[in-house]
Amino acid sequence: MATLQSTAPPEADEVPRPPVVRRKRTVAQRFRHDWPLLLLAFPVVAHLAVFHYWPSAWNIIAFMDYSPYRPFWENPFVGFAWFERLFNDPYFTPALLNTLKFAALNLLCMFPLSVLLALAMNSIISIKVRSTFQSIVYLPHFFSWVLVVTVFVQVLGADGLVSNWIMDGGGERLNFTSNPDSFLFLVWLQWAWKDAGWGMIIFLAALASINPSLYEAAASDGAGRWRRLWHITLPGIRPVIILLLILQIGGILSVGFEQYQLQRQAVGYQATEVLDTYVYYQSIVGNQGESFGTAAGLFKGVIGLILILVANNIAHRLGEQGIYQKS
Amino acid sequence: MTAIAMKPKRRTKNRPVWDEEPSLAGKAVKALFLICYAAAIVLPIWAVVATSFASEEALNRAGGSLLILPTDVSPQAYREIFSGGALTDSLILTLTLTVVGTAISLALTICGAYALSRTGSLLHRPILWIILLTFLFGPGMFPSFLVVQKLGLFNSYWSLILPGAVGTFNIIILRAFFMNSIPGELIDAAKIDGAGEFRTLFRIVLPMSKAILAVIALFYAVGYWNMYFQAVLYTPGLETQPIQVVLQRMLMSTQGLPEGAQAAAQYQATGEAAPTAALKMAVVVCTIIPIVIMYPFIQRHFTKAVITGAVKG
Repeated sequence: MATLQSTAPPEADEVPRPPVVRRKRTVAQRFRHDWPLLLLAFPVVAHLAVFHYWPSAWNIIAFMDYSPYRPFWENPFVGFAWFERLFNDPYFTPALLNTLKFAALNLLCMFPLSVLLALAMNSIISIKVRSTFQSIVYLPHFFSWVLVVTVFVQVLGADGLVSNWIMDGGGERLNFTSNPDSFLFLVWLQWAWKDAGWGMIIFLAALASINPSLYEAAASDGAGRWRRLWHITLPGIRPVIILLLILQIGGILSVGFEQYQLQRQAVGYQATEVLDTYVYYQSIVGNQGESFGTAAGLFKGVIGLILILVANNIAHRLGEQGIYQKS
Repeated sequence: MTAIAMKPKRRTKNRPVWDEEPSLAGKAVKALFLICYAAAIVLPIWAVVATSFASEEALNRAGGSLLILPTDVSPQAYREIFSGGALTDSLILTLTLTVVGTAISLALTICGAYALSRTGSLLHRPILWIILLTFLFGPGMFPSFLVVQKLGLFNSYWSLILPGAVGTFNIIILRAFFMNSIPGELIDAAKIDGAGEFRTLFRIVLPMSKAILAVIALFYAVGYWNMYFQAVLYTPGLETQPIQVVLQRMLMSTQGLPEGAQAAAQYQATGEAAPTAALKMAVVVCTIIPIVIMYPFIQRHFTKAVITGAVKG
């Protein structure tokens, strides 16, 4: 798609100034010229320093036997002891596996649904029908997880609407929203309800930017509906698909927190525990200690960082743009 | 081919000439898919609204969950919400947090995005990297929690606004918009006419960016309005909680769960009745309404914002 391909990554879009002009100006001169911009950027930089980089630096306590009750420099370094304890923790591996399971579900079952929706949407010709449909399917994206879970319990819960219908018909009470075995499916349904429509938006934009004359040319060469889909539509949205895949793979260990925490009581921790809830319940609610919780979070952060770099690298090798360009 | 076979079929208006009319079955499958999907979204929302207006008798007759067709209309649940109790306080708190938080976030985002859109300025690249690096690595839940504690923000409403006030993704979206959609000549012209950076920002750049600013403001506002996790994490000890936390407690209390029993006991202790389905659904409606009101004005700009973000993210 034209808009995506023609736009260079942030580093590359600087307007090259003639080097002569640049060399002539000293830092002091540039400061005198640019101080309003620095002033404008300052609050953001300060905010990130305090709420992003400072906590990031605190990750060092994952390698220490940290206690808040003694001065920071008196905490002894213990190497990877906390990570060892983390990997030996009987609750950690299930949490990690659950996280990967939900991430795989997201990758395999949400993407195709969004693409399918976008293709179906794109073939609606009436603009009125289209925009009505769009308004409807984007809306749940803006609902909170609390709301989504509440609505699901009311509709599909044990005392919910569907359960009542089934019981009126002489059937058994439904226990869909509290059944650990079907939790994966429940999660998928909630995702599909909340976010599949929103996920479609970017594919729609990609579809709209495919040059219609390509279709016309293919059709006059005798390509049918399915061939056009395969040879024009799908290659047309390929950069977007790859971009989103990279983002997804980078965030593979961040499948969210609220959706699982909210249903933990009803479904039980075995099925709902993911890495984020694990950190929360072990180190903030529980008493595993500061260093342990930090080590668990750091593990997640580092794996995420590695995954995003690797995925981006693969995208470059495939000849796609990825998130950032090799510099 | 015979002339009869060549007879043109009835065509949908606006369909491009090269596109053959799809078969009836194909159309039906597609329509069914889209209609089912839309219905699965609309029907529950409709049932929630219908139930929120139901009286207790009507609800009991229906089994206590949801009503598709309201048999009567009673504003009882809404009267209860706005009667000045804990629910009213919670709604006022959430609204305040949303307004204050959105204002702070938007101001920070605009300043950051504009500063970064002026390429080649002093320290431009280091600052850009400071922002971009936040995409690659998150500090983690526990260190963030620790910092909030160290700043003395734990159990303070500021901890619900400040730690997440800057969405670096939004900065990058807005920066991309400033750079790509506002002609550089215009800014140069302003400079030549003697306008400083601030005047350029307020008089030229911002008035041209109303649409995208509205979308970003909506993203921020929805984030604050739907805030749940931060409240659970940073302000568990405060009496008045954001509306999502209150809704979660109501949900638990009627699900018959351990945590719910606690909440139910709380309701008994304060002499309030445990929430009926109507009350719960009325709270749900109250949390949806602000979103639904804002939504139609901003919805048509979504695509642009998302695309700009995807390009630059």
